[in-house]
Amino acid sequence: MDPQKTILVVDDASLVRLYYRTTLEGAGFHVEEAMNGLEALEKLLTFPVHLMIVDINMPQMDGLTFLQAVRRKDRALASIPALVTSTESAAADFEAARVAGANYYLVKPIDQPRLREFADLLCGVRR
Amino acid sequence: MNEFLTQFVIESRELVEQATEGLLVLEHSPHDAERLDSVFRAFHTLKGGAGIVEFAAMERAVHAAEEILSGARAGKRTLTTALVGDCLACLDQVIQWLDAVEQTGELPSSAANTKADDTWLADMLERNPEVRAQVATALQFIPDPDCFYQGEDPLARITALPELLALDVQPMAAWPALNSFDPYKCNLVLTALTAASMGEVTAHMHGHSGTCEIQTISDVRTTPPASALPAQARNILTEQRAMLSHATAANLAGFVASAGLAAGNALRSCALAETAAIIAQATESSLSANSPEPLRHAISQLLSPTPAAVTETTKVSSKPEATAQTLRIDARRVDALVRLTGELTVAKNAAGHVAKLAQQEGNAIAGLLKDRQVVLERLIAELQESVLGMRVLPLRSVLQRFPRVVREMSLNLGKPLTLEIEGDDTEADKAIVEMLFEPLLHIVRNAIDHGIESLGERAARGKPPTARIRIRAARQADQVIIEISDDGGGIDVDRVREIARTRGVATEEELRLMPEMDIIDLVFAAGFSTAAKVTELSGRGVGLDAVRTAVERIGGRVSLESRAGDGATVRFSLPFSVMMTQVMTVEASGQMFGVPLDAIVETVSVPRTAIVGIGAAHAIVLRNRTVPVVDLAAILGLREAMSGETDATIVITSVAGHFGGLHVDRIGQRLEVILKPLDGLLTGMPGITGTTLLGDGRVLLVLDIGELLQ
Repeated sequence: MDPQKTILVVDDASLVRLYYRTTLEGAGFHVEEAMNGLEALEKLLTFPVHLMIVDINMPQMDGLTFLQAVRRKDRALASIPALVTSTESAAADFEAARVAGANYYLVKPIDQPRLREFADLLCGVRR
Repeated sequence: MNEFLTQFVIESRELVEQATEGLLVLEHSPHDAERLDSVFRAFHTLKGGAGIVEFAAMERAVHAAEEILSGARAGKRTLTTALVGDCLACLDQVIQWLDAVEQTGELPSSAANTKADDTWLADMLERNPEVRAQVATALQFIPDPDCFYQGEDPLARITALPELLALDVQPMAAWPALNSFDPYKCNLVLTALTAASMGEVTAHMHGHSGTCEIQTISDVRTTPPASALPAQARNILTEQRAMLSHATAANLAGFVASAGLAAGNALRSCALAETAAIIAQATESSLSANSPEPLRHAISQLLSPTPAAVTETTKVSSKPEATAQTLRIDARRVDALVRLTGELTVAKNAAGHVAKLAQQEGNAIAGLLKDRQVVLERLIAELQESVLGMRVLPLRSVLQRFPRVVREMSLNLGKPLTLEIEGDDTEADKAIVEMLFEPLLHIVRNAIDHGIESLGERAARGKPPTARIRIRAARQADQVIIEISDDGGGIDVDRVREIARTRGVATEEELRLMPEMDIIDLVFAAGFSTAAKVTELSGRGVGLDAVRTAVERIGGRVSLESRAGDGATVRFSLPFSVMMTQVMTVEASGQMFGVPLDAIVETVSVPRTAIVGIGAAHAIVLRNRTVPVVDLAAILGLREAMSGETDATIVITSVAGHFGGLHVDRIGQRLEVILKPLDGLLTGMPGITGTTLLGDGRVLLVLDIGELLQ
């Protein structure tokens, strides 16, 4: 088994964070949370993160602005894969996420197997 | 209820509140972009939550409202009163659902099955492949069987849908034989596809009778199956290539590094470590060449070429929003704390009793015990104070419900109204805040229904057409004052007099002698109601007397001031903190009395023969101590002192260091009550410290133990 990977969940809805945490911890990941982009930027500086799961619509700093900022940082931060999750499902939303630097986009709600599967894929975890 | 549902209900309630508040502001200033954003976000998060707990019905309902708001955000439509009403109706439905979830601990059964029944939609799309590309919204409409009697024409309504693409009409149930066929019953299922948005369709179907299911097509857009792992790796690789084409000079390194890592990870996850190494190499080449091409090329080689769609980008804006820094505690826990503090007081009293005993027996540690007991006493008093302070709430939680209520009444009665609320940050005890809604609602209803004149009358009196209701709350010393004023017609004293006479509230004679103020006050008397016609609003069979009773139960007062032709003001004077007193009820000679719990040390049952006469008085010997005993019924003059063979129930009390026993017939229950001091004729009555109203409306006299045992 690989060493434990850390996933940073960035979402303003506490229910979503709880859901992601429960799902991902159940799959052996370590989960950290941030309520918006600003908080996430701070947290990224304090511990190594292997994957960010980012909501789009958040107060303080939305997910896309956050991603744009991260992709402009130095390599250690800028290279962290990002999974954007949002209820928006229009082509324009997918595209906006891509432009901001999202590595993948999933439309909410995401069932638990699917979330685990993509966390494994994007963290490079073999089961 | 599982953790998700609990969290879902808590969060959803907060969001509903936030959305409601915002919507009411938007109704008056529909172009407040910041507010619109915040309301939109609230709906958006609500929908997300519903998705997580798999509450399909709520998800769809909220989605429809979100569509309306998103149209407004994009500047495509203005939020009219009707649209705000639709959004509010959606929130009402959500509240009902949340209540149901909270009560049953699970999702309403109707919520779960709706998602599964998407077959009609798939069928409809399959039958009409030529319009598939344009379809934005699908609708299934099952009209009420009796809709023809309501003058409705379901077919006409559905054919008038904006941008209708396809329509299908089927019988709901198989057509019956001709002789049993009822042509006046609607037996149709209408299914339609349109290019219009969900918001437009929802607006179009507004007010129909029957059931209507509306879906945006994106809802059923199927995501690729998640079974085969290489397929998902392929998806991720494709996505990385698409993302790389958007790299700019500023973020090139970040894009390349993260795309390389994501692609490599996906391959590693599928046990393709060698291929992952190729990607890692290409990533380094891209970084040193300062171009995404090497990586793009490497990914492309792993994939068969697929064109990536390019559309214009959208900008998601967001504004900062203050988040409250509070700790959420279940109110029941606070109540439990209050109750425990009360029990602690009783335990402390018993400890004091022990200290006293030790002192009398000349025990060496008696002094120490006494010192400790004093400290304990002080700490418990402080604890009690801060625990009661935890129960303080701002009145906002009650007052914020009124804009909605007033809006509704204003629309129903056709009386234009503005509501002003002042001092909603005034705080009061939770017990008061919680009971305040009903009485306030009643007063506001009355003001709007009876106080505010019709438009014609207002014009005749030279008043502006829009009437004003004002709710003002303020703290005055240890009281909280709430005033509800209107600028209506005030109270018609002659009519009050007449009604009071005909309903037998007061006699002709009494009325003649009564000052005008007292006559106005009669509207609070039981059996009085000034409504000439019983209206939907205030004619609910509960008079203003119910308001007075409710307010007095918590130790408050209600007064009414009327300015003829100019409006009226109702004033609630409420205590700031409700001193909840714990009492134990006891029975003597069939009557119930309260004994303050903090005066009680213990209750004992002794043989009646153990009560011995000492001169005119009686006493028992309890653990080598003589405790004077009085017979409650006798001392209150209810009957002669008891005698007999059965055991006697005695409540041992301690007041200011003096012990005494109260001989009662029976011990009842412990109650938490709000003690009202005696007033009027009863003031200064010996032996009674106050009264309290019981839940069933009976008055409980609470005994003054100190005085009784003297």
